[in-house]
Amino acid sequence: MMSLASYLIISLILFIVGLVVMIARKNIVAILLGIELILNAAALNFVAYSRYVTNNLDGHIFSLFIIVVAAAEAAVGLAIVIRFFQIKETIHIDEATQLRN
Amino acid sequence: MNQTVVSYLSQYEFYDSLLALFGNNQGLLAFTIYLLIALVIVGMCATIGGLGTYAERKISADLQARIGPNRVGPYGLLQMLADGVKMITKEDVMPFTADKFVFYLAPLLCLTGVFATLAVLPFSSGFTVADLNVGIFYLVAISSLVGVGVFLGGYASNSKWSMLGGMRGASQIISYEIPVTISILAITLLAGGMGFGTIVGQQGGLPHQWFLFHNPFAFIAAFVYFIGALAETNRAPFDLPEAESELVSGYHTEYTGMRFGFFALAEYIEVFVVCGVAAALFLGGYNLPGITIDILPIQAAQFAVFMTKTLLLYYVVIWIRWTFPRLRVDQLMSICWKYLTPIAIFNLVGCAIWLVVFNGKSIAELMFGGH
Amino acid sequence: MFLQLLFLSSAVLTVGCAIGVLATKNIMHSCIFLLGTLIGVAGLYATLGADFVAVTQIMVYMGGVVILMLFAVMLTGGKDFISKAQNLLGLPASMGNKWTYAIGLLVGLVFLGTNVNLMLNITKTANVKEISNDFPSTVSQLGHLLVKDHVLAFEISSVLLLGALVGAAIIARPRKQQ
Repeated sequence: MMSLASYLIISLILFIVGLVVMIARKNIVAILLGIELILNAAALNFVAYSRYVTNNLDGHIFSLFIIVVAAAEAAVGLAIVIRFFQIKETIHIDEATQLRN
Repeated sequence: MNQTVVSYLSQYEFYDSLLALFGNNQGLLAFTIYLLIALVIVGMCATIGGLGTYAERKISADLQARIGPNRVGPYGLLQMLADGVKMITKEDVMPFTADKFVFYLAPLLCLTGVFATLAVLPFSSGFTVADLNVGIFYLVAISSLVGVGVFLGGYASNSKWSMLGGMRGASQIISYEIPVTISILAITLLAGGMGFGTIVGQQGGLPHQWFLFHNPFAFIAAFVYFIGALAETNRAPFDLPEAESELVSGYHTEYTGMRFGFFALAEYIEVFVVCGVAAALFLGGYNLPGITIDILPIQAAQFAVFMTKTLLLYYVVIWIRWTFPRLRVDQLMSICWKYLTPIAIFNLVGCAIWLVVFNGKSIAELMFGGH
Repeated sequence: MFLQLLFLSSAVLTVGCAIGVLATKNIMHSCIFLLGTLIGVAGLYATLGADFVAVTQIMVYMGGVVILMLFAVMLTGGKDFISKAQNLLGLPASMGNKWTYAIGLLVGLVFLGTNVNLMLNITKTANVKEISNDFPSTVSQLGHLLVKDHVLAFEISSVLLLGALVGAAIIARPRKQQ
């Protein structure tokens, strides 16, 4: 039951769900949720390969950096969302058509 | 490999006979032992949480020269049972506009976050459910579930007081996590590991062997940890999320009956947990002075030592609550970001430099030489 | 037995909550399902013997990212939720409509098709080694790797975090109305 393939399948499901969330939602926060799912899918793959294929911990390092980047991305992304809301009073992605006020 | 309670028990002879009883099924026996130990610890800590409410009322009465609960049972000791029965039999009211799913989920998240920390709490050298090698990090991480529970409880009630209390609670918990975690990092530097077994094993039974008196930076770190932990558990003087004079009772305003009981229980057990962590990190944990043999009565003595230290700190927490006035929100945030966080970072750097300069020796070792 | 149990429950939690993120109408519930997914992924890391990564996952996501998301949702209620604009599926307008869902599912299916094909090849050809079930501690090894082999990436990520901190504070700071 526990094999490389099962982890890859879970990661694939996560990735596809994240992709569909990103495309289907019109709410910017929900799109960020989709991005988090995709990043997690990638990190899970790295750790699974690190255990089942290679003999070192480089995969762990990669997923640690992915977690770091995801945290930074969430912080900046949500700051942008809040700023966008202050200007437009909505967080509908279709309203985001201007590069400056 | 991680040291667990099962691997500790397996060195005794009765483990083999138990194994034979279970038809040599290692997994089943381990599962049964874990289940029993988990039930014991959860039951014990629920009792401590319940007694916490009694202790709180009795100690506050003592500090204010009152008598406190004295009607139910001897010295009012059964007050806890009376309160419990009252809570269970109360009607479970849910506001009509509440978000039902989240409203049910929030108290459970709080309780889960607190009970999950009990898995790594070092009651004695053998009686630690799982001495993970990322123990203290795991404890800090999983207890942030309480913050999510508080926030969601505030949101789901759909009431302005709850909402304000929930947002205050979440921002307070994630802010104070930073100085607390950095102070803990200083101690992991001294101990050279994140497992509770390593951390407690590096200390001794006598006060001069504790990390509290290891060096001046660790001494300051202990106070930073304790202040931050008070804020993380929403205890006075940092109980702004449930400040009754401003917010009725904060994030659990709309909760009744046992759901309110879950929040209260989670808070009292979390206070116990942070006191236990402080005892393990700074006050030598379960160490007995001058005893190296490892038999079961020694384990009981270690357990008693750990509980004594923890409950003394518990008393201090209640004492602080009934002595100090509550802070304002802006004072709370400026204490965290302008004072505690820089001090904690300074401590971390100071501990690292101390380790390099004095080759990891404590003050006592430097003064008197050796152990 | 523990390992299988943990794997099964984590996998079910991960996949179920991921589908919950996709299917729910309420952005708040979406965030909570995301929390479930992230805890499930942490459980999967634990079954892979990556104790430090699992705990970091819990620490960063549960203590940081999810609470941040919840704050962002609370601070951006806005017109979408006040006007109760509903479309054909009965969702709030910003949570997508049937066209976006159709396109999303189509893209997902195409991606699934190509990837299953790829993955079959990988699992056949990859040199899967025999693994044992005792997990050595990864903490000290990871520490050595971070300050030896990957020290440049480590330092750059610290600069990235500082940039994110300053940038987020500058972007979201309150400004005077013009």
